[in-house]
Amino acid sequence: MTRALVELKGISKAYPGVVALEALDFQLVAGEVRALLGKNGAGKSTLVKILAGVVKSDSGTIMISGEVKSLQSPADGIKAGIATVHQELSVVPDMSVAENIYIGSWPRRNGRIDWDEMHRGAAAVLLRLGVTIDPKQSIRKISIAERQLVEIGRALRQGARILILDEPTSSLVAHEVEVLLAVIRSLSASGTGIIYISHRMDEIRKIATSVTIVRDGKHIATGPVNEFSSGQVVEMLLGTKNHGAQKLTSNMSPTAPVVFSIQNLSVAPRVVAASFDIREGEVLGIAGVLGSGRTEILQALAGLRPFKADAAKLHGTDYHPSNLAQAMACGVIMTPEDRRGEGAITMLGIDENLVMSNWASVSRFGTINRTAMMKKVAESIRTLGIKLARPDEALANLSGGNQQKVVIGKALNANPRILLLDEPTRGVDIGAKRQIYELMRQFADRGFAVVFVSGELEEFCEVCDRVIILRSGQITAELSGEKINTQSLLDLTMGEQREQN
Amino acid sequence: MTVPTSIKTTETARISFFLKKRANEVGLFVAIAVLYAILAVFAPNFSTAGNLLNILRDAAFVGIIAWGMTLVLISGEIDISVGPHVAFAGVALALLAQHGINIYIAALLVMLMGACIGIFIGVLRSYFDVPSFIVTLALWLALRGIAQVMSDAVPIVIADYDFQRLGSGWFLGVPIPAIFMIVLFLLFSFISTSTVFGRSVYAVGGNAEAARLSGIPVARIRIQVFAITGVLAALTGVLMASRLGSGNSGAASGLEFDIIAAVVVGGTSLFGGRGTMLGTLLGIIFIAALVNGLVLLGVDPFAQGIVRGFVILAAVMVNIFSIKRVRI
Repeated sequence: MTRALVELKGISKAYPGVVALEALDFQLVAGEVRALLGKNGAGKSTLVKILAGVVKSDSGTIMISGEVKSLQSPADGIKAGIATVHQELSVVPDMSVAENIYIGSWPRRNGRIDWDEMHRGAAAVLLRLGVTIDPKQSIRKISIAERQLVEIGRALRQGARILILDEPTSSLVAHEVEVLLAVIRSLSASGTGIIYISHRMDEIRKIATSVTIVRDGKHIATGPVNEFSSGQVVEMLLGTKNHGAQKLTSNMSPTAPVVFSIQNLSVAPRVVAASFDIREGEVLGIAGVLGSGRTEILQALAGLRPFKADAAKLHGTDYHPSNLAQAMACGVIMTPEDRRGEGAITMLGIDENLVMSNWASVSRFGTINRTAMMKKVAESIRTLGIKLARPDEALANLSGGNQQKVVIGKALNANPRILLLDEPTRGVDIGAKRQIYELMRQFADRGFAVVFVSGELEEFCEVCDRVIILRSGQITAELSGEKINTQSLLDLTMGEQREQN
Repeated sequence: MTVPTSIKTTETARISFFLKKRANEVGLFVAIAVLYAILAVFAPNFSTAGNLLNILRDAAFVGIIAWGMTLVLISGEIDISVGPHVAFAGVALALLAQHGINIYIAALLVMLMGACIGIFIGVLRSYFDVPSFIVTLALWLALRGIAQVMSDAVPIVIADYDFQRLGSGWFLGVPIPAIFMIVLFLLFSFISTSTVFGRSVYAVGGNAEAARLSGIPVARIRIQVFAITGVLAALTGVLMASRLGSGNSGAASGLEFDIIAAVVVGGTSLFGGRGTMLGTLLGIIFIAALVNGLVLLGVDPFAQGIVRGFVILAAVMVNIFSIKRVRI
């Protein structure tokens, strides 16, 4: 039997309040391309972080090429020959391709950087990958796909024998995916072990030799990829236990008037031709894997991205906002996915965060009316159920769930008619999640509408009246009412065939 | 010793929250008290009324612009052009007066010009993404240059004794520039705490992207902040020309750094989002008293720079630590 490149035995890791991994075993041999599958929070990223030395496991042993290793830091991970290429690339944009490949250990001669040696070495690495990128080119001038290849090149140069690719195709278009898959094939042929994290079954079938499925921190199954049907994979990802809490009752009637409709929406670079309606009182979900264009649709509607459409109507009138202010004036308001970066100002008070989207409602001639502001803030805090010590304390003091409620409260205070929520429950505990669903439901029940984007498919089952499924920038299916269940959603979003445009 | 929470009344909770939130100002207040006590003992004539009023007058030339600079720093920007702007405004004022324009109308024109210079900075920052440090560095060079060219680097006399009272006169026993400073302090305290514009400045500096997505007009706020500082720099130029009795292209050399030092000692973050007018006021008083005390102590003028440099550094470090410790 071939000796394993990596052998993990009984790896466990717990974070306060949650077990991320439980006695997990994992093996990878040279030349193997292993697809790692699991839902959000199943433990995939913890496993990858432990391998990379970013996180330390609580117990268990790690063997690399038959040797027991203790990985204390990312540097240890690199030394052990393990490299990770994340979704967020870590290249320095103002340096050349060669400098990035040799980053931190540029070859030197007589105390100076040996540019010739560096360019030669980089060219050799790129040749091994079988790609044509000029080593002297600046990173800024090359595409995202090429930057990703540069990172893979860096991993090779560092002598990586185990390469972890975390959703590598989420920001690529179809022909770029083919280039990447070809590179992966040639690496595996030369003996590199590859861990490939993806939600796209069609890609997995093309590239992976074997699959491992994890769920709730436990190893569920490992085997050759052609031994599992997609149905089996979905079943194993979901497990048998009863999924999703009680669905919130909806008062929405399927014949309610359409408040917004759009035909053939296209948003560069991902959304090609999406047509859909939103009805009064509806919570509409948009499901799709990362990079399917779900965020782009919300951003387009919120006036943050230019878009084209054959017809876009809001309450019967043409809707084509050229900026955020116009969209807000029409009552279309979005909460961004990145709470800390874009959603809220954590060093300011909770009170100000709640009213800053609509200062006009609590001020006169530009002067803030404290009494009106406190009244409005108290009302928001009550309806949102925010737990706090004082309304004027810094937002940073609140838990993630309560911060998210403030972000939603801020959007609600701007008096929206259509509320666009991009991953509103990310990093939020289960109790607060339920409260956020209830807020969405209440808002819709008042005759408005909510568009809800999430990466966790179970969530749609709990709150949505209807879900549209987005794949490669197109709406490929729609589920409504009782038909919304995690299994169908997973089937439809992962997809067997990649749509070719 | 631990106090059971049930005994802790809401009143003491309120006071402790106040002390936490104002840790920076309370700390500075203590530092000023200590400095005054030391100087009162060791520096002859420090604690006389006349000297304290002198401190106030000196502080005014730093303080008036400092209110605008506090807003600039809170919004996450910087303006280093204010020193040369003061000199430029003084020379422009004197030239206008020389051409027979009423001095008070000339003063208004100069302040209008100050607003335009500020708008220029703000527009380049907001619409062309030129960092404000670079724009104001260019103006730092250019404005002093323009002042020198316009005046041949020779002071232009303003022979109007009534006007000279503005910079050197007294009103109710207080130097007139100090009255300007105090009135503007009250105005800017109100602006920064109680107006939509003021709070938007904090929002922009705290997280510009979140502010934009909340519908706050980020570009307009930035332009307004620079325009306000431009007007205040021009006003200081007018007062300084009045005090000197001339428009002088060499005036206010290094003033921009005295101002930034006072604002930063006052607890305003150079990274934006944090700062108060009260903190800046205390920072100004602290530095003005220190400078005055060093003179009275007879410290070698060259050595004064060394002392000031290290004291400012120490004050800012104490400030950073105190904010870190009671992070709210």
